[in-house]
Amino acid sequence: MHDNSVTQCLASFVFAAVVGFLMQRSRFCNTAALRDAMLFKSYRNTKALLALMIVTTLGFTGFMSVGGGHPIEFEVGVNQLVGLFLFGIGMVLAGACTVSTWVKTGEGNIGALWALIFTFVGMFLFSLFWSAYYWPPAPETMSTTANLKGLQFGVANAATLQLKTGIPAFVFGLVQVAFLGGIYRAIVRRERAAAQAREAPAEPVSRAAAPAPAVAQASAAEDAGAA
Amino acid sequence: MEIFKRSMDPVMAMVIVGILDIFLFLVVGAWTVGGGETMLTGLAAKAVMGDQINRIPFWAYVFKPTFHYWKMYISLGMLFGAFVGAVLSKEFYWRVPRRLDEWVMITIGGLLMGIGIRLAFICNVSTFFAITPQLNLGGYLAVSGIVVGAWVGSLIYKKALES
Repeated sequence: MHDNSVTQCLASFVFAAVVGFLMQRSRFCNTAALRDAMLFKSYRNTKALLALMIVTTLGFTGFMSVGGGHPIEFEVGVNQLVGLFLFGIGMVLAGACTVSTWVKTGEGNIGALWALIFTFVGMFLFSLFWSAYYWPPAPETMSTTANLKGLQFGVANAATLQLKTGIPAFVFGLVQVAFLGGIYRAIVRRERAAAQAREAPAEPVSRAAAPAPAVAQASAAEDAGAA
Repeated sequence: MEIFKRSMDPVMAMVIVGILDIFLFLVVGAWTVGGGETMLTGLAAKAVMGDQINRIPFWAYVFKPTFHYWKMYISLGMLFGAFVGAVLSKEFYWRVPRRLDEWVMITIGGLLMGIGIRLAFICNVSTFFAITPQLNLGGYLAVSGIVVGAWVGSLIYKKALES
């Protein structure tokens, strides 16, 4: 943890204010990026999610190659898999993730505010059970070393990769970018194919394809309206 | 202005956010929300419980409630930015869920998000936009978890929509 200062808090606030504004104007939603792709085969938000990951992967691994920036010293463990699994169910049920709860609350959405309040309640409830007695055991998940008791793997990121292999972190970053870019391209192709199928001259095809955009529109309307 | 009249292209918006995120990474650390929300929870709990909160080890040792924590201002900043965007584009209005089952789903969803964040030590933002771009192994575990979770959630959501 870095020493806390007014500058850090101010930088965070300014950054987040711009992000909140852009999120509000673009209606980007992390929940929709996953849910709409799975339920409605609509990829508007999924593409934005991938674009953001590509940009940050390039930037973060680039600076980490020369030891710059503030990468998170972070204990890797099975608790991430289980925790985010619960989070994934929760965000679809609530219709908002950690970002969109704040953004939608800013738009006057009481449902999002309600989700936010219960996120806090959930955090507080978990803090009551966070100890050495329940899984995951507190001391073991806070140690940066691998251990079986907390199902921990220690610390592993671009910096440790560079240290172990001698290959600059940026090279691994490029591999990840290529992978994310591949998914992006596959989505664009699929969208193009779907658009062509819709515009195809054969009458029955266009009729069959007609309900699809209606469902996608319903999902977009749901994003704008309900939490 | 044009930007207040129609929605911005999300890909464009997120590329800008990505560049800003790199700047934040250089100044304090990558974008994250869960930590700030935890601190807000701690401050709220302290306001209600007073010094009794120190009886809970998590708040006494790991997350001592304080106002000098940068991640908290990320949450407040997003709220402020979104409010400004909504007001300027005349999109601010009170939206209240109508049906009881919506309230129930939101309540359960919120609880699961809070528990999940504290169990994993990360939220969805740090998963996708902080640690996975840092090639952190925890990020890959978290992405696998959230994708499966969102799929299970979608099945439940679909059931609820149809009923």
